[in-house]
Amino acid sequence: MPMYGDLGNKLVIHAKRTQGLAHLPPYQTELVRAVTREVRDLNRDVESLLEPFQGSFDPTQDHATACTLLVNHLSMRRNKRCLLAYHRTRTDKLEEMVWNGVDVADLAGPQAGGGRGNGPGGAADGGSSSGSNLSPQEEDYVRQYSDLLAAYKGQWTDIDLTGSLEPPRDLFIDVRVLKDAGEIQTEYGAINLTKNSQFYVRQGDVERLIQQGYLQKLG
Amino acid sequence: MDIDDILQEVDPTVYRIPQEKRDLQELTRAWIAERSAPELLPWPPNDLFERINAAIKRQIERVEELTGDMDPKSNFALIVIQTELERYKYLVRSYLRARLAKIDRHTLHYLSSDALRARMSDIELAYATRHQALLHNHYLSSFLSSFPPNLQNLNDAVGGISMIETPDLDTAVIIRLLKDSFVEGRGVDSDGALQMKEGDIVILRWADAKPLVEAGKAELV
Repeated sequence: MPMYGDLGNKLVIHAKRTQGLAHLPPYQTELVRAVTREVRDLNRDVESLLEPFQGSFDPTQDHATACTLLVNHLSMRRNKRCLLAYHRTRTDKLEEMVWNGVDVADLAGPQAGGGRGNGPGGAADGGSSSGSNLSPQEEDYVRQYSDLLAAYKGQWTDIDLTGSLEPPRDLFIDVRVLKDAGEIQTEYGAINLTKNSQFYVRQGDVERLIQQGYLQKLG
Repeated sequence: MDIDDILQEVDPTVYRIPQEKRDLQELTRAWIAERSAPELLPWPPNDLFERINAAIKRQIERVEELTGDMDPKSNFALIVIQTELERYKYLVRSYLRARLAKIDRHTLHYLSSDALRARMSDIELAYATRHQALLHNHYLSSFLSSFPPNLQNLNDAVGGISMIETPDLDTAVIIRLLKDSFVEGRGVDSDGALQMKEGDIVILRWADAKPLVEAGKAELV
């Protein structure tokens, strides 16, 4: 017979697994619903147990009931923690993707064809496969978080906050083009980035493209 | 910037350093400290970041002016300026991101009291508040709203354990003494105390190092 908390434990295992993955596995809608249901059932039990006492329950008089109440109570709280942990792990992951410049539309739109092929704006690893893995609430969350991040970044226009966190060594770097990225404008004129070609460019100009997986830094 | 610069900066006899250079030194110190301290440090006072932003803007304009010039001499200068600019920007970016990471990790904690809120800049505070609201909303719409009302809070402290996580203030940090001072540290088995000299480097718990750092007697490295 399944015990209280078994389901919550499953969620935690899912969360743990998510931490080590490059992409976001599907949202466990059923599991979340089941754990929530368990909490509601437990709460109903508590209420029906307490009902005959009319608010004058004395734990020292009735040890058995007191013990049941305590276990129910703890199970509810534990389930809540499991749910919080599960959702937080996933939002952390989503935030990381937003920071890395994964296209929100790609992440959130399960019906969009762009999610599968690597079309224009096709997101880097993870983005393409996690298309329909979000719950509707998570899609909302990602959208809102991107807005929030954009607002925060807007305060620091001269510093690209999502830029590389590696200290810059050289102004110019060698890059190889992994995917066709079209033409980009630099101070030194336009460069046409075609697959397998190699360029010596200013790092600041191509930072985004490296992050999105179009270019690879050499050396 | 190297150690000599840092040491020189705290030397009270040197007052003739130009403002720009002092700002850069201050930023570098704040950056180093922020990256090693386990908790969020106060936002630098005296409009440091307004000046830094203005300086970056000036340099960007300068670069744009020089770009049109094809003279090889100014071209070389341009590369030097651009490299410096990139590094400056990196410092600011890394500093802001380090702070943001801490704020994201313990949002409720930093929002919980006025003293902690005061450590954040206005923009950071707005960000933290909004982020927390988003998260809470997300929890609510995902599962919390179908919970019994007494279980819907995110800040319960039942059984003596608060739901709000706080940074671990006992993490080890490495500090360099800027003035001769008496250093006390708590250990696992026994506590230690030592009279130390300027320039000495010591590793101890942040909770023990904090008063020294705040009093300007030591800096994080």
